[in-house]
Amino acid sequence: MKQINTKKYRNEIILFIVFISVFILMSAISPSTFLTVYNMQSMAYQMPEFGIMTFAMMVVIITGGINLSVTATSALSAIIGGLVLSTLHSNGIGSFWVIAVSLIGFLIAAAACGALNGFVVAYVGVTPFLVTLATMTLFGGISVKITKGGAISGFPESFFFFGNGDVFGIPFPVIIYSLIILVTWILLNKSPFGLRAFMLGCNPKATLYSGVDTKKLLLKLYIYSGLLCGISAVIMASRYNSAKDTYGSSYLLQSVAASVLGGTDIAGGYGSVLGVVIAVAIIQVIYSGLNIAGLNPYLTNVVIGLILIFVLAINYLNSLRNRD
Amino acid sequence: MKKTLCITLVFLLIVSAVSFANGGGEGKAAADDELTIVVMPKLVGIPYFNAAEKGAVAAGKDLGVNVIYTGPTTADAAQQVRMVEDFIARGVDCIAVAPNDPAAMTPVLRKAQQAGVLIMDWDTPADPSVVDISVHQIDDVEYGQMFWDKLVEFAGKDTMDYAIITGGLSAANLNCWIDAGLKYAAAKYPGLNLLTERVPSDEKQQVAYQKALELIKAYPSMEGLICFSSPAPIGAGQAIQEKGLQNDITVIGCALPNDARPYIKDGSVDAALLWDPATLSYLTVYLAKKALTGEAITDGMEVPNVGKIGVSADGKTIIMGAPSEFNKDTVDNYDF
Repeated sequence: MKQINTKKYRNEIILFIVFISVFILMSAISPSTFLTVYNMQSMAYQMPEFGIMTFAMMVVIITGGINLSVTATSALSAIIGGLVLSTLHSNGIGSFWVIAVSLIGFLIAAAACGALNGFVVAYVGVTPFLVTLATMTLFGGISVKITKGGAISGFPESFFFFGNGDVFGIPFPVIIYSLIILVTWILLNKSPFGLRAFMLGCNPKATLYSGVDTKKLLLKLYIYSGLLCGISAVIMASRYNSAKDTYGSSYLLQSVAASVLGGTDIAGGYGSVLGVVIAVAIIQVIYSGLNIAGLNPYLTNVVIGLILIFVLAINYLNSLRNRD
Repeated sequence: MKKTLCITLVFLLIVSAVSFANGGGEGKAAADDELTIVVMPKLVGIPYFNAAEKGAVAAGKDLGVNVIYTGPTTADAAQQVRMVEDFIARGVDCIAVAPNDPAAMTPVLRKAQQAGVLIMDWDTPADPSVVDISVHQIDDVEYGQMFWDKLVEFAGKDTMDYAIITGGLSAANLNCWIDAGLKYAAAKYPGLNLLTERVPSDEKQQVAYQKALELIKAYPSMEGLICFSSPAPIGAGQAIQEKGLQNDITVIGCALPNDARPYIKDGSVDAALLWDPATLSYLTVYLAKKALTGEAITDGMEVPNVGKIGVSADGKTIIMGAPSEFNKDTVDNYDF
């Protein structure tokens, strides 16, 4: 029984070893500055927005697709939600309603973006890569059109809480992130919906012939992906106290990298929620650790690239060995 | 599993070797009582901010302070905010930032200020309420107006069709110059006809090149091109050179002389207007040290390697001085 478990979680175990090693390494490079409570907190506030966006990417990758519009979706929903927020706030409406209504604004905008992606991918049948490349440009264009290139700001103080507050010392973004991890895990690993999503990634034809409405399934997955972008947008808008078309644009390829590092098969059909969580943590520790050490940021990318190649190579070798 | 572990260890050794070789030494080189000043550009790896790095590092050596010059690899505000957060965690004395977006930086800069860090902005202003010292390269309005003056001067006439290529639609400083220039031109040069809204080039030479080609194709009557952000005029110059339109289209832009030299020499770019970014970052570090050691900064004071600086009435906005003009005759006098 135990043997089976280590085999099943081999990928996660390797990732965890890498995580621990990287963590120790960073602590060794800058012992007095990396290994501090303040830095741990600071990293905890930074991780959720990126982690949630990585899940938005991952749920689409497991179907064999890709969502290149994650950052654009997030930015657009932040701009629409932010617009609602600042407009209501400046009209002096009570802060509870302002926030409640604007949160709905964030999520509706994000879900609509996801639905557009899902509709074109599933019902029109265009390749996800092309669809989301197009919507990335489309959403980005709408964002710039609305903001005229500036940033939307003027949010109420209470909105600050989503990205900067804490509950009993636990950063609020971390609480949101934990909930997302749990929901995504249940959805993918404990529900028929998740099983069908993995099946679809392995073999779309067989999935269709076994009676699954694959079009509806895809549509739902893209909407879920969009919603996650919207939640990430809430955290970002709160943390940066404004919304703009370019916020988080560097997360796009990083989220693909984190998904793949976490063991998600880029061809679809496999993905591990736990793996992605560890992968996101690895990337966070490397970024913050090397930054604190004063390393040239290009070398940070070099290190992340090396780790990516390394983990992928190990996974590949392992899969070869398993096949023998 | 053992084999995997072995490979992991070897791999980590390599990674740590890379890290130590490049970054590990820096922390140790700084003595404990040395001031640590972070100078953060909008992004690293473009010629303008590479030149600024030289100035910041030179100032650190001259003044005996530990200067860390680092920034995001893309012009993304989120990445920049995270880097500032990391530096608060590290505990530095001063953070001087060129914000990609002023609004996004406000919460994190306030946090840094509360943590006792001296906050400065340079190159692009941040939210004034969270900044202790603001270093400006030039007077924004005068600088913007100068582009239109030079366009008319080099074209030899003040009636023509022209277009504007800018770095990004949301860059505060670029918009400020363009707005100032457009307002000025409307009053002083009514014969100038702007063909289309300012065209963004994503701070990339390649994009500016494509946009310039598109503009040339779309508007055969175009005789002037004003380019903001340092890669833009080089891209435009490339397009003009390729099409052989050196004598037909006047290009004025802000560019580094070393990059623009071939295009300035053959007339593809008529004139570039810019301050020396190395001087700007030198001044930033100089002022940071002055402020950290409690020395006064006064209007008209002489800064070594920089010259006379101006301090505005609020006492925290510093203006470096007039920009330099690089044209066919003067470009060889500069090397950056």
